Amino acid sequence: MSERIPWPLAAVVALLLLIIVAPLVVPVAMSISDTPYIVFPPEGFTLEWYGVILTDPEAQASLRVSLELAFLATLLALALGIPCAMALVRCRFPGRGAVLALVLGPLVVPLIVTGVGLLQFFSMLGMRGAFLQLLIGHTVVCIPYVVRSVSGALATADPTQEDAARVLGAGPLRIFTRVIWPQIRPGVVAGGIFAFIISFDDFAISMWLADARSFPLPLFLYAAIQKFFDPSIAALSALMVFFALGLVLLIEKGLGIGVRRIAG
Amino acid sequence: MTCVLQFPGCRRLGPALPAASLHRVTSAATKAGWLLAIPAVLFLLLCFVAPVAQTLWLGFGARTDAGVMTYGFTFENYRRAFATDLYWRILLRTAKMATWAACVAAIVGFPLAWVVARGRPWLSRLVTLTLVTPLLVNVVVRSYGWSAILSRNGLISWTLGGLGIEDPPSILYTEAAVLIASVHVFLPFMVLPLAGAIARIPPSAEQAATIAGAGPVQRFWRIILPLSLPGLAVGLPLVFSLTAAAYVTPQILGGNFSPLLGTLIQQQVLTLHDWPFGAALSTLLVAMVLAVNLVFIGIVGRRLRRWTAVA
Repeated sequence: MSERIPWPLAAVVALLLLIIVAPLVVPVAMSISDTPYIVFPPEGFTLEWYGVILTDPEAQASLRVSLELAFLATLLALALGIPCAMALVRCRFPGRGAVLALVLGPLVVPLIVTGVGLLQFFSMLGMRGAFLQLLIGHTVVCIPYVVRSVSGALATADPTQEDAARVLGAGPLRIFTRVIWPQIRPGVVAGGIFAFIISFDDFAISMWLADARSFPLPLFLYAAIQKFFDPSIAALSALMVFFALGLVLLIEKGLGIGVRRIAG
Repeated sequence: MTCVLQFPGCRRLGPALPAASLHRVTSAATKAGWLLAIPAVLFLLLCFVAPVAQTLWLGFGARTDAGVMTYGFTFENYRRAFATDLYWRILLRTAKMATWAACVAAIVGFPLAWVVARGRPWLSRLVTLTLVTPLLVNVVVRSYGWSAILSRNGLISWTLGGLGIEDPPSILYTEAAVLIASVHVFLPFMVLPLAGAIARIPPSAEQAATIAGAGPVQRFWRIILPLSLPGLAVGLPLVFSLTAAAYVTPQILGGNFSPLLGTLIQQQVLTLHDWPFGAALSTLLVAMVLAVNLVFIGIVGRRLRRWTAVA
């Protein structure tokens, strides 16, 4: 149901939208200033700072760690989450409610607490290797997103088709690849993208587990804000804003997944 | 816990869904269910439940005196958290900040949610996209953007300077700055459930109120607000929980002058290596978040049923 929005309301909403966009636009504006310090409004025009940050070896290393982490955590979360979603939606078994609560648990416990718990757990086990620890932590927080997204897709698929395939003599593997997979693929893609974003943007888990060699990009940016005062930090922020805009376009236009589901 | 109905996409299906998913109740399905779920369950038990449980326990199971950790059941960490003025103030400030953020998000979010629910399709889409895009931008970038806006030589000072107001007070590194940025960061989590609730208000209820002589103000207080409570009941505890547990935003915008609980936990564990005290503070954070969520599920849920039953 849509109706005319009265103009005072429209004005308030327009103002709010401007305020919402402002903190994303300001770094972009500051990144093109050709002064050696950050200034608003920007003075002059240069893209030099983008070159500075893109060729910075530490920034490159952090980006590589973040991408590797996000990619592997997404794969792991999909591998664990898809079968679990199938069990939750398609099967009744004792303890199903407990499994559901367990799987959604990482969304309920504050991330910072999960992170400190993992740090303590790994140090008690005497486990070394920050990358593996980060990977485990990121996978934990990615699983709920995969399970929710895949369950949503599964719940809209008709189980009688699976029965039909079974009656016609298809084995479980064949049923999965020929009947279930084509129907849940959009949900899997959406869940995978959400998982990737959650891992790539994670700060609250990484801040406990990272070390100097495995130092994800958000931590690098946070440290750089306090260390450097030239517009290269604004340039890195701007690049991350552009990356997010690209993702929104990909999700909305390319895949047709409602972007609002990210928040749900 | 009602399970299947909680997943996104299920609501559209209505009552047909539980029947469809209840579909096979054989022992084979039980076995298959467990087989499919077991990898994720084992992984989460080992790498999520065990670490978190261990941390929550450590707050009772050990204490640190002059850098030496002694084991044994104790409430000392909690006594310290509540009895030390500094820590008590941080706990209070965290609860206050999270409450404020939730309330401000509800007030600011209402007009936005209204337009998402009731505006023309293109407008609703535009508002939704503008709201959700910042969620994909890293929280460090968003906080940095706010610090650039609020700092002494940032956007606001520049604008005020242009209006002839020289040397305005900087609000960067104050609680107000943390509040503004927190509301900004978590606003979508308020607006989207609220928009869902507003969209479900039957137009007939408003029409009936209009016919009965209610003005716009009365319609808002008597019809729209009570009927959008289901959305508020989701959004308020969500924004509260997220703000209370935030680390980056308070750190970048509040500086060292107004730390919240997240900062305190980080300092205790990583800087002072007082793990038991950090664990006790983590437990308090979990308790705070859990309490607010339970209150909303319990009391508000019950009142909701009463209020919505009338409408």
